Amino acid sequence: MNAVLEARDAVVRRGAREVLHGVSLSLREAEAVALVGPNAAGKSTLVRTLAGLLRPERGQVILQGRPVSQWDRDARARALALVTPEEETPPALTVQDRVALGRYPHRGPFRPLTREDRAAIEGALAATGIVDLARRALETLSAGERQLAALARGLAQQPRVLLLDEPGAHLDVGHQLALFRILDQARAAGVAVLAVVHDLPRAAAWAGRMVLLDRGQVTAEGPPDAVLTSPEAARAFRVSVRAHALPGLPHPLYSFEEPS
Amino acid sequence: MTETRRRALAFAVLAAALPLCLCLASASGSVALPPGSVLSSLGARLGLPDVFPLSPAGQTILWTVRLPRVLLAAVVGGGLAVVGAALQSVFRNPMADSGLLGVGSGAACGAVLAVKIGWGQTFLALPIAAFAGAMAAVLAVYVLAHAAGRPSLHALLLTGLAVSALAGAGTSVLLVATEEFRVRTVLFWLAGGLEGRSWTHVQLGGGLIVAGALLLLALARPLDVLSLGTEEAAALGLPVHLTRLGILAVSSLVAGAATSVAGSVPFVGLVAPHALRPLVGPLGRHLLPAAFLGGAVLVVLADLAARTLSAQLDLPLGALTAFVGAPYFLLALRTHEARA
Repeated sequence: MNAVLEARDAVVRRGAREVLHGVSLSLREAEAVALVGPNAAGKSTLVRTLAGLLRPERGQVILQGRPVSQWDRDARARALALVTPEEETPPALTVQDRVALGRYPHRGPFRPLTREDRAAIEGALAATGIVDLARRALETLSAGERQLAALARGLAQQPRVLLLDEPGAHLDVGHQLALFRILDQARAAGVAVLAVVHDLPRAAAWAGRMVLLDRGQVTAEGPPDAVLTSPEAARAFRVSVRAHALPGLPHPLYSFEEPS
Repeated sequence: MTETRRRALAFAVLAAALPLCLCLASASGSVALPPGSVLSSLGARLGLPDVFPLSPAGQTILWTVRLPRVLLAAVVGGGLAVVGAALQSVFRNPMADSGLLGVGSGAACGAVLAVKIGWGQTFLALPIAAFAGAMAAVLAVYVLAHAAGRPSLHALLLTGLAVSALAGAGTSVLLVATEEFRVRTVLFWLAGGLEGRSWTHVQLGGGLIVAGALLLLALARPLDVLSLGTEEAAALGLPVHLTRLGILAVSSLVAGAATSVAGSVPFVGLVAPHALRPLVGPLGRHLLPAAFLGGAVLVVLADLAARTLSAQLDLPLGALTAFVGAPYFLLALRTHEARA
């Protein structure tokens, strides 16, 4: 199947520092990819480059067959949604209004809400399980609930590609399970999902494919269990990883130790 | 009460309060006019029968002194409040206001320069010089902040602060170098006030303010997207830098026009949006019009107080808005801190 989003040998600088040294990565329709890597490996930079917010100095990013830099901004935001860790959103904004802003690329500055817009907003609220919070101001929510509202905004864009930077960062275990279930539902509906995930066992349990980024380069890629137990992962995280298969569990349990 | 009803109620109260305050302010002053006659005289202009005619002197006072002043107070207050609300979204900070862009200090510097040159008594010279000063300061902030590429909001803020300080220094030097009798004319302007403003001021300043405020209202939705932060706004397809630039430019025009006709009127841009946001919500399409009405009411009443509190002299309007605004703000800060 063809890639919906693809980075080809992308070299990206932030300021004077070259952060990505020629990264290639592709994402197919209805695929769930976990992007993992140690701190400062360039994961956030890669996600923003894939989203078209950072321009590679060399190489390119291709969205649905066309360089992302050639896309019209609104059209790009209809095809691709980016959800980053919750910044300080306006505290008095209601969840409903926040999610409705996800329709901006569809509506522009002037078009009123159509039935289609309303359906997308309600669908996003329902999918993330925050219908009851719709009328609440963001300042009255927990960090985890605000993160779900941010995800709902991304779903309201009705994108073909969903990129997430550490979506589970503020969430307790129950909310994390819910989050990855929501991402899986989006994937099942045909959306290509790529998420930066720090919790490696969680990433392995969720993703169909894992990409390991280490110091600005992809050093391993493939089935999550294979990537996690690879020597590249051990080198990247400076740990030794062991997988323990247990009868009755779909995924192995992992243990991490500092190398002796 | 649901938020929709609360918002509708707030708009109803504001929409009723503004004409009421306009009428009250037109009727009150050193010569009191009967409010009924004021209404009747206004109605007569619209072709209604003048049932309670004013005396000829009353007519003159109403139409050449009171009305231009009262209307100017309304548009100045409304304009400053809309700009405050817009800048608070752009800077994602409830303390943002046109002062951040160097508008006030630039206008003051321009006005003092005009007086120093000896244009203090020339009709409209002061507001035009003030407007030029405000625009020069904003341009300086923009050019300096962009010297090292696209600036962050933080860099923009600090540049505004530095340019304001520079303009303030220029103003003090000019004031010291100006003859004492001329300083008096500009002091009234610096303190903020609407004494002796004519229909020409209303047409020039008011026209620019209302046009700018409408333009900001048209940008309400991009403003909402911008308030989510640079990255999220860009991810939603908004041309962030262009939109921000457009809003800053229109805001500078509006605030520059307001300051050039009324002098410094502090705190309106902070208090009106801050007080109304809990009632109408933070979305631009609700907050901007509400802020316009609220700011208008606030300055019309402040100007009324400036004219009538003392029988001997006109108090400076800017001082009155600060007397109301500063304590309000301290109080709001305390409740906010207590909640956090």
